[in-house]
Amino acid sequence: MPGNNFSSLPDELQLATAAHVKYIQSLDTRKDEYEYWLTEHLRLNGLYWGLTALHLLGHPDALPRNETIDFVLSCQHDSGGFGAAPGHDAHMLYTVSAVQILATIDAFDELETRGKGKGLVGKFIAGLQNRESGTFAGDEWGEEDTRFLYGALNALSLLGMLHLVHVDKAVQHVAACGNFDGGYGASPGAESHAAQIWTCVAALSVAGRIDLVDTDKLGRWLSERQTPSGGLNGRPEKKEDVCYSWFVLGSLEIIGKTHWIDREALIKFILGCQDTEKGGISDRPGDAVDVWHTVFGVAGLSVLRYPGLQPVDPTYCMPKSVIRRVLGK
Amino acid sequence: MPPKGKTVAKPKEAEKPTPPSTTTTSSPTQPTTVNDRTKQRIEAINPLSAAVTRAGGISHLAPAERTLYINARFAQSPTLRAKLGTKAQRDLWRHVNEASLPVRTLLPVIPKTNIWGSDKTGRDVGTYSPEEFAARSQRRNRLTCLLVASRAFEARRERARRGVKDPVTGEVVMVAENEVDQERERRREMDALRRELYGVKTGSYAQDPEWDGVVPVELGEQEGELAAIAYPEEYAEAISYLRASMLRKEYSPRTLRLTEHVIKLNPAHYTVWLYRFSILSALNLPIPGEINWLNGIALSNLKNYQIWHHRHLLVDHYYPTIASDPAALASFAASETDFLSEILERDTKNYHVWSYRSFLVRKLGMWKMDNERERRSVEAMIEDDVRNNSAWSHRFFVVFNDPEQSTPDVAATEPDPAVPGDIIEREIQYARNKIYLAPQNQSPWNYLRGVLVKGGRKLAEVEGFVGEFVKNLGDDEKEEVRSSHALDLLAEIYAEKGDREMAATCLKRLGEKWDPIRYGYWEWRRGMLEA
Ligand SMILES: [Zn+2]
Repeated sequence: MPGNNFSSLPDELQLATAAHVKYIQSLDTRKDEYEYWLTEHLRLNGLYWGLTALHLLGHPDALPRNETIDFVLSCQHDSGGFGAAPGHDAHMLYTVSAVQILATIDAFDELETRGKGKGLVGKFIAGLQNRESGTFAGDEWGEEDTRFLYGALNALSLLGMLHLVHVDKAVQHVAACGNFDGGYGASPGAESHAAQIWTCVAALSVAGRIDLVDTDKLGRWLSERQTPSGGLNGRPEKKEDVCYSWFVLGSLEIIGKTHWIDREALIKFILGCQDTEKGGISDRPGDAVDVWHTVFGVAGLSVLRYPGLQPVDPTYCMPKSVIRRVLGK
Repeated sequence: MPPKGKTVAKPKEAEKPTPPSTTTTSSPTQPTTVNDRTKQRIEAINPLSAAVTRAGGISHLAPAERTLYINARFAQSPTLRAKLGTKAQRDLWRHVNEASLPVRTLLPVIPKTNIWGSDKTGRDVGTYSPEEFAARSQRRNRLTCLLVASRAFEARRERARRGVKDPVTGEVVMVAENEVDQERERRREMDALRRELYGVKTGSYAQDPEWDGVVPVELGEQEGELAAIAYPEEYAEAISYLRASMLRKEYSPRTLRLTEHVIKLNPAHYTVWLYRFSILSALNLPIPGEINWLNGIALSNLKNYQIWHHRHLLVDHYYPTIASDPAALASFAASETDFLSEILERDTKNYHVWSYRSFLVRKLGMWKMDNERERRSVEAMIEDDVRNNSAWSHRFFVVFNDPEQSTPDVAATEPDPAVPGDIIEREIQYARNKIYLAPQNQSPWNYLRGVLVKGGRKLAEVEGFVGEFVKNLGDDEKEEVRSSHALDLLAEIYAEKGDREMAATCLKRLGEKWDPIRYGYWEWRRGMLEA
């Protein structure tokens, strides 16, 4: 196990927990910046990323709980679905983030009393399944992507409503996205891609069908993603990146093959992507930080048992303690 | 001040009032600011007050002047006058009249607050020079004139809308195209003037007569810190008109232009794309025109995926209209391939583009179209960059999903007896040739394994070829491995043949020397040999 050697690492290779917490807290005070409104279509996702990072860092109360609930509920539509921010259309991706946020802060009750209720959320998600192909669309316009399928199974399982959809058909569709190299793509015929692999494998994990994965072949492809820098890339011949490191690592963890890569080298790569002063983690050393790479960097370190972090569930990318409380396992 | 009841002090004969000394002072210097000028004017009509100020207080005035000053103050104030007897009042008036003071009065002192207001920068307009002030006044007048003309236009258009007849000509009022243009021009000028004068900006939609009558829907202020959203003005205005139009379910040319504007400001705004598609469908607009427009947007936003979903929807919408016309289908496929080549030239591994491309091949049945253009096109990309994994992956898709030479629903990782043997041979050969170019490149090695599985071939079939990359295995001095992927495949070939010892040697050397970063993986594989 790594972990014992970390006190001997130089300062820049220690996890800057306090700085990361501050960075995440500051995100919502940057409203005068151009970036802020340009990323409005990610607002609810951003909240999920920031909140999850804070929980894994052991600072679950760093964001005000009531305001978080208020904001999440203000994004809900009459259909039960959630938009990225108030005034945005309901979409699968934001609905999943909303469910994950409410699950994390144990606020499903509030959804019942102040929101439009769990039942309607489940109905919204289930309504997006194509009953013939088993796939899920992101919204009423029908764009289909394995990310939506994973999101649907993720959120429905947290809500205890998987029975609303054809899980078997969804599983068949995931299997059809499998490629000759052992990986998975966004749709049948699309190139293997670490992020798509994680959504496919995690979807199968939620459905309890990991038996369908050729774990040796997939593990081989995934472990080949590690580059000499210690970081992992998302596709062959692409640059290593903290977020892809998570997608690969999360997939390896789900199929029980994390030990196939050099874990210490990956820890050093992720720690090297921190802004140790202002907080936050970037895609590669020296680049600008953002909340997306911050959560996946922290989640990666958690999978690698970096000391002081809360254990992350590789299927949900949420704290294990939350999954245990919600799913009772 | 004289106490109540006393008579008004009369000047002595010797002190026959002379005109106050102020009137005799040399004419004031040219004012440098508006406040200066005001001060001069106030002084000119309040000569006594000015004299008091100059003297440094009432007590310093000459007695005659002091008396006149006090009487003048009494004359100005009904409250004070009421305190005097009738006789005293009469004397007071006579005395003041004899001094022939100015009739008009202004406040005797300049108020401290800025009496002319502030300009857009917060500067007191009183500090303007008279010339600047005149120019400002002129602009204000111009704005008023424009406002009147604009109101007249609105009234006229309203009459036109109601079909009112012109009382002079007897004809129904019509608003001509050029009048709308003039109004647009007028509003632009008004906006410029407002900005200049008051720093108030009118958004470009509020200025546009075409959008009159649409009340923009601003996003209400949400409670709580987490929700407040700050937008730059132009975007905020466009979005508020977008919301209003979507609520009205308006599908019109102007809303199509509005979506274009919003997309150019923020192409990641997913809602605007969906709205745009519904406008296109409602107006039944030609899809090729939209695709043409989309090309430009796609080229300047390579990482945006909404663009590709929009294109996907367009193709789904367009396909039924050309499905039965092979020529139209081929021509559409050709123009799409041209564009995809152009965009992939700029971003050779763009995931959205490649995903769209596989969708398109399937949708239009492009497998063998145009003399297998798709396969040739991808081949050209691999020629350019043999490490382009996206191109390799697409080639596998094109070759092994062609319904003419494959079985539907056979997984990518399973053998397919419907694939002709010569195709398997061709693909093995192709991968081998590319491996020679860059032996450590993993894409063609993965491809080679994939083809062998598809063809149901044994790995041993390529043993000779793979062996070319590995020399003197296990000999510390002379061992030469040009590709860790070759050594990996060789281990599998030995295992397939039942030669566990050689397989173990390959895996051991991989973990020790040729790919130590995945030591754990190689050791696991070695462990599996014994199982
Ligand atoms: Zn990244």
